[in-house]
Amino acid sequence: MTAGSYPPDGVPLRPNVASADIQLPAVRDYEQVDREIAGTLSPTLGWFGALGVAILLFLWGAGTWIYQIYWGLGNAGYTPPVMWGVYIITFVFWVGIGHAGTLISAILYLFRAGFRTTIYRCAEAMTVFAVMTAGLFPIIHIGRPWKFFWLIPYPNWRLLWPQFKSPLVWDVFAILTYLTISSTFLYIGLIPDIATLRDRETNPVRRQLLAILSFGWRNSDTEWRHFTRAYLFLAAFSTPLVLSVHSVVSFDFAMALTPGWHATIFPPYFVAGAIFSGIGMVFTIIIPIRRFFRLQHYVTLNHLDAAAKLCLFTSMVVGCAYLVEFWVAWYSGNAVEQHYFWNRVFGQWWWAAWIMLICNMVLPLSLFSQKLRRNTIWLFVLSIFINLGMWFERFVIVVPSLSHEFEPWQWGSYTPSWVDLSLLAGSFGWFFMWFLLFIKQLPVVAISEVKEIVPPKFRHARGAHGRAH
Amino acid sequence: MQGVLGVYRELDAACDAIRALRAARVAKITAYTPTPRHEFEDALGHATSPVRRFTLIGGLLGATFGYWIAIWCSAYWPLVVGGKAMKSWVPYTIFGFEVMVLIGGLSTVFGMFALSRVPRLVTTVGYDPRFAQGHYGVWAEGAPEQMRTIEETMRRFGAVEVRGER
Repeated sequence: MTAGSYPPDGVPLRPNVASADIQLPAVRDYEQVDREIAGTLSPTLGWFGALGVAILLFLWGAGTWIYQIYWGLGNAGYTPPVMWGVYIITFVFWVGIGHAGTLISAILYLFRAGFRTTIYRCAEAMTVFAVMTAGLFPIIHIGRPWKFFWLIPYPNWRLLWPQFKSPLVWDVFAILTYLTISSTFLYIGLIPDIATLRDRETNPVRRQLLAILSFGWRNSDTEWRHFTRAYLFLAAFSTPLVLSVHSVVSFDFAMALTPGWHATIFPPYFVAGAIFSGIGMVFTIIIPIRRFFRLQHYVTLNHLDAAAKLCLFTSMVVGCAYLVEFWVAWYSGNAVEQHYFWNRVFGQWWWAAWIMLICNMVLPLSLFSQKLRRNTIWLFVLSIFINLGMWFERFVIVVPSLSHEFEPWQWGSYTPSWVDLSLLAGSFGWFFMWFLLFIKQLPVVAISEVKEIVPPKFRHARGAHGRAH
Repeated sequence: MQGVLGVYRELDAACDAIRALRAARVAKITAYTPTPRHEFEDALGHATSPVRRFTLIGGLLGATFGYWIAIWCSAYWPLVVGGKAMKSWVPYTIFGFEVMVLIGGLSTVFGMFALSRVPRLVTTVGYDPRFAQGHYGVWAEGAPEQMRTIEETMRRFGAVEVRGER
């Protein structure tokens, strides 16, 4: 069962005619918000089906990981000199996906961008699950996952400490901080909504559970006063964190003396790519959700239009970074660098490079058309291409550099094995399993924040801004 | 504590009731609202939340710890690579920054919980489930002789329900 009928009874269907004053014209009052968003939590047959597929994919990936642990990392398709492959590519891919959530929830919050209100919860949850997925891949990549904790600085009997000048240790700090702060940000925003669900719940067991999860939240002025300030400061902390985390991930490459990697453009290039890929995944998720949960009057075409403009902008930043890379290689006069970039686009890896360029640079230019920005089918199809293109961007960064270093005797090739591809598929299963579980337990649209943009009831007539007439 | 709870449908009615109760020198007033509204902040006249102090102190402690752990470990277990400085402030700024955000963020949340008196084990006294949905609430505590005045004030401003609780 899904939310109430669409359009709601007695309301004219004009959900996409909005103004600065009224963002959600088809949402009349707080009770409607509660009823319709809480209504999305009832499981449906389609949801069970999707969850089943996700769990199967996850189990396939988990089984393959056990196989790899038993038989060794040699099954992963690594062939010297390419000793980084699908696992590192997929790690960077998922970390990137995790960036749009915090961008939408924190940065757009600070900029007071109205279109974030109805999509940020999805994006935040996506961030947490994407970072959870990303964090698995360095552990899978090291081959002996039980030794992962050696990267964490803690007093130990061997008196060993990690190398603090190593980008791998930087990664540990950056990713763990990002996961902790993103999860905290998500949960803090959820507390008032869980309290709303608690107060609507009739089942005593569920009600008790929701009371515990909401920490006894009562919507008092004291709670809101501290909540709003804390939320603001968390957003202010999360904003530079978004920029720092993918910069740190880019240092994994930029610190190495390898053609194509050792470039100062990498941090902004990675951050722009991460935000672009994350917005692509937001479209992949939010478009089916608004369709199947009948939330078209919450996630309106205006919101998608605004998000599509952000997508177009970040696509152009990423495209600019691609072109600057080529220009720097040419301008440097470094023969190795020039040959490497030629090999990337017209040589051994042309097919991967062109998938990247077409998906990330060319297709998003369609978003200059307002008609296409407001066409949900096109946005969904485009988002799939963006996901594909951004995975291949990381492929193009990792594999061609390692397969084509300074000396011809170092050159080689790389083909992912079935183990690599199974773990890649398993990562999608893991991610969507958590996401699907989330959307049926907790609201995908922030109830309390939507209420902020729904005009409250007044005893005396007011204007659109709440001023008395 | 003895008090009176008023339930309102309209935002301005609840705010007007709060102003009237403050004018009547009612000692403790709590407002309930499904979503944060500046109208209540104006009516109640609260100062800015001191959560920012937790943020500042947590951030400073985090940054200090981040730099310290990197510097101390490098001195205790020297790993000299490429003749570079053992205590190198540029890469160590990553640790300083990340731990600043981590501890600063978590102490902000701690501050919010501590100042809001959350987690709260009992939500029943002076609360109504309607406050999480579409209604506004005003809870006023006072001396027994004030109860009648409080109830009358709440009714005067259009409360849909007024009830005494303790």
